[in-house]
Amino acid sequence: MNVSLNWLATHLDLSGKSIKEIDDLFTFAGIEVEGIVSKGIASDKIVVAQIMEVIQHPNADRLKVTQVDCGEARLRQIVCGARNYAVGDKVPCALPGAELPGGFIIGETIMRKVESKGMLCAASEIGLPAGEDGLLLLPRNSEIGKPVKQLFDSDTLLELEVTPNRPDLLSHRGMARELATLLKTPLLPLEIAIRETAAAKEIRIEAADACPLYTAIRISGVTVKESPAWLKQRLESIGLRPINNIVDVTNYVLHELGQPLHAFDAAKIAGNLIVRHANDGETFLALDESKHTLTPDDLLISDESGSPLALAGVMGGLTSGVSETTTDILLESAYFTPQGIRRTSRRTSLSSDSSYRFERGVDPAGVVSASCLAVQLILELAGGTAEATTQAAGEAPVVVKSVTLDAQKLDQLMGGSIALADAEEILTRLGLTKLADGTWNVPSFRADLQRHIDLVEEIARVHGLANVPSRLQGTFVPASAVDAAYDADMVLRRRLAALGLHECQTIKLISDAQVADTLPLRPMQDGDVIRVRLPLSEDHAVMRPSIVPGLVASAARNVRQQAKSLRFFEMGRVFRNAGGGKAKDQESETLALLLSGSAQPTGWSQAERTADLYDLKAILSALLGDRKITFAPKDRPGFTLASDIKVDDQTLGIFARLTPARERELDFSTPVFVAELDLGKLRKLLIGISHVEDLPQFPGSSRDAAMELPLATPNAQIEAIIAKLAEPLLVSAECFDVFTDPTGQKIAADSKSVAYRFHYREPTRTLKTEEIDTAHQKVLEALTKGLGVKFR
Amino acid sequence: MKEQIEAIQTEALAQITAAADERSLDDARVAVLGKKGSLTLVAVGIKDVPKEDKAAVGQLLNAARTAITAALEEKQLALREIADRAALAGIDVTLPARQLHTGSLHPLTLIRDEAIRILRRMGFALADGPEIEDEFHCFDALNTPTDHPARNEKDTFYFDSGKLLRTHTSSVQIRTMETQTPPIRIIAPGSAYRRDEIDATHLSVFNQLEGLYIGTDVSLPDLKGTLEYFLRELFGTQTEVRFRPHFFPFTEPSFEIDVKLTVKGQAPKWIEVAGCGMVDPAVFEAINTSRKDNAFDPEKITGFAFGMGLDRLAMIRWGIKDIRLLIENDARFLKQFA
Repeated sequence: MNVSLNWLATHLDLSGKSIKEIDDLFTFAGIEVEGIVSKGIASDKIVVAQIMEVIQHPNADRLKVTQVDCGEARLRQIVCGARNYAVGDKVPCALPGAELPGGFIIGETIMRKVESKGMLCAASEIGLPAGEDGLLLLPRNSEIGKPVKQLFDSDTLLELEVTPNRPDLLSHRGMARELATLLKTPLLPLEIAIRETAAAKEIRIEAADACPLYTAIRISGVTVKESPAWLKQRLESIGLRPINNIVDVTNYVLHELGQPLHAFDAAKIAGNLIVRHANDGETFLALDESKHTLTPDDLLISDESGSPLALAGVMGGLTSGVSETTTDILLESAYFTPQGIRRTSRRTSLSSDSSYRFERGVDPAGVVSASCLAVQLILELAGGTAEATTQAAGEAPVVVKSVTLDAQKLDQLMGGSIALADAEEILTRLGLTKLADGTWNVPSFRADLQRHIDLVEEIARVHGLANVPSRLQGTFVPASAVDAAYDADMVLRRRLAALGLHECQTIKLISDAQVADTLPLRPMQDGDVIRVRLPLSEDHAVMRPSIVPGLVASAARNVRQQAKSLRFFEMGRVFRNAGGGKAKDQESETLALLLSGSAQPTGWSQAERTADLYDLKAILSALLGDRKITFAPKDRPGFTLASDIKVDDQTLGIFARLTPARERELDFSTPVFVAELDLGKLRKLLIGISHVEDLPQFPGSSRDAAMELPLATPNAQIEAIIAKLAEPLLVSAECFDVFTDPTGQKIAADSKSVAYRFHYREPTRTLKTEEIDTAHQKVLEALTKGLGVKFR
Repeated sequence: MKEQIEAIQTEALAQITAAADERSLDDARVAVLGKKGSLTLVAVGIKDVPKEDKAAVGQLLNAARTAITAALEEKQLALREIADRAALAGIDVTLPARQLHTGSLHPLTLIRDEAIRILRRMGFALADGPEIEDEFHCFDALNTPTDHPARNEKDTFYFDSGKLLRTHTSSVQIRTMETQTPPIRIIAPGSAYRRDEIDATHLSVFNQLEGLYIGTDVSLPDLKGTLEYFLRELFGTQTEVRFRPHFFPFTEPSFEIDVKLTVKGQAPKWIEVAGCGMVDPAVFEAINTSRKDNAFDPEKITGFAFGMGLDRLAMIRWGIKDIRLLIENDARFLKQFA
């Protein structure tokens, strides 16, 4: 809300208060100051100075050295660059300490070895509209030494954010009341002659639920014309555009008192005014020329002809308003219930200064007085005669009740930082009165105060948290399962960073097209994707069922930035339905990895090598420490080389390469390997060992064997045969060489030679050579039988 | 024989001196001291020396062996020293390092972890809840009226199921209170969603950290002490902290918290970092209704809650001017956090 400081000052004495003090007052009242715009000159230290002498600066061609009279005992020497003045002229002089717009503070300086004790100013330098080049020449008769701000109009516009619970602040009177409370200064009285009200002759309320009180008063013989300067200035000071004297008065009263008013051209009303719900499908043409189709929940001001004159509390109609030819008006002031106005405003997307206030709740007790102030001003500015009494239909609703303040609970919550008497004094200042039964009567403009805690809030707000002590203590609580998961995740994150991967954060809403890149543990079925109803764009339309699409998009963006090595990971939630939508919105957490480009940084000692799938396997192995990881190939649509990642026969996740076609489509020049792992399962594998194993006391021995087998035979088969044999003396078997020769010269092109090293050991004694040979022979026989391999 | 020994010694010493490497030095040793070395053979011949001369020849023989051995050792040390020096000669320690990949944690992880570590020191445990929420946990139980603007389809993502993407992590407060009883002392980091167009200061998916402390005597001094301590641990022990009264439907009284920070090259200014307040009794009433008990009796139980934007904290901490950098994952940005 925009507030003019000059306007505010008509309600309370603000003299001697700096903008900074007022800013702090609002801020600590819970009213956020979003902007301060000063018009005119703000500083008192910019004064009228007469130029008494001008000489050329000894060290600078473009500067002059002046002696000026600022009404002080001695002349002031000021270095100046302007040329548009003569001795005897009067100009603004910013004295040391003056703050110019933009926050620059004038000091005493030395310019090219000549002292300068202030600054002679141009119009734009002191916050006035820019005029001619050079210094601002002031009228000859200006009093020397007088603050220049007194010669010009000045005001400060405060842009304030009022929280939704405080509609009482949505006017200058309301803001002034709040400041007066905080400053403990009296509020200046309002000069409104309250007119008598009488039962309405020309109003019929058919929707008392939405409009408990409706008043109107007829003013005849008005002259619609331009408003006087003071009124236009008031409205312009808060950014409103003056229209004509009648409309301007209604706007002025709204911003003065917070009560929206509406003036109808009486000639356009057929018979009585009727406050009624709209008919279903009824159309309304608003004064901003927008057309709306209404529902029975919307409230209309209508007449005997049935035509809608205004959308109650929101906006007037295009034809029923005041125009230059209007002579008689009917001035509306009413109380509409907040919920109804809120719904209508939302449904029609129409909002106005009126609806803004009605939907937050106006003061029911202010309905009549606002009307009276408007009548007073209209008669003054537009002439005419008003009816003797204001017509009123319905009754002002009771929006407040008396509230109990629980002293003990107050003391507990405030930590004993405020005495009850001081707390009660705050309530009294806020306009509450203590009743005989000890409860508090709340003024009608504070409908937000309904409960004990609401009173406490007011006390805490006015008392200030600065006056509440700080207590440093708290109860002990056990760690949760979420704590354990978090710790495991941080271990994984640090390991991955140590392995040279960068952690990413991608957006959890992805596009339909990106769903093709998903790599969830359980393949997606139709109906598994969760779609938001009103996406901001098609790029962010579905909840990600997998993190891989986000990483692929991030990697593609990095490729466009010429990144050579792409090593990324991300951990977080994924979302899906399951079983074709049978199980709704399941959330789980996964870890995704992406690897592409250079396998290692290149340099004087390192040759370029492109990362391959074994590099990603290396990262997975390092991540899981000593755990045995197996990879079981399994087709995944949209990917190649896909495998399940297994530990102890449990599927942890999936590993794959994008199809070469998709890689080309995204401008990758190197293969892109991705993996996605179930974090829930991964975390469990991170639980450390329960006991250490004894170190071997006896030496072991190893035997190497190279076998020739078909190129297509997977290594997993060799491992499976060795595992199945379960030779007790065999402690490990590792593949240390794979040899192929596509030319077929050293080994048939469709064959490969795979070399293994087998380690044998018996924990209780040293093995005899024959025992090792026997065990090794069993292993070789099993492989020969199982794979038909030849040993080389 | 004496002459013979002297001749062998002279020749051996000459050979040792002439040896250019350890191999020729070893040849020289074998030629003199080996099984068939010249001096070894002379030593074998000592048995033929007349008895009265044996002592003298023996002495001479020992002296020769000692001298040759010493020369061999000395020469070997000298040769190794030369070889060692040669081996190191080509090494240029100023050449750049052989490189390893250096990874990094995302700035959001770093700031979140820092916040969590501080709050855990203060005895808070972690909690979480679903991101696809229902209106009860996101709004109703948090005392948010049905026609509150935040519930608008323009501001919140809804699904056909009627569920929505949580607009704040405050829903975790409700989830926690439904399943635990006081005292509760939790923090909940997590994502939240609002239908904001993505620009330099807005993301439609952002990250918050929620805190909740419920007990029998939790008061404004606890709220103030806890958050002042937290923010001073995060931003520095001398950091000024202020609490501005504000309004949230689910806390009363409510405050926004500013810290006075100096952005490089600017005067210190107040920057809003968090919102907080005492849990509104209406929230406890909603919880009791949902739990079908009176575990959160508003006559006996009080508590405070707070929430802050982690993306914003990261932006403040590292002077990140465009929030989109946090989701674009440009390696040049991420590498700065290595």
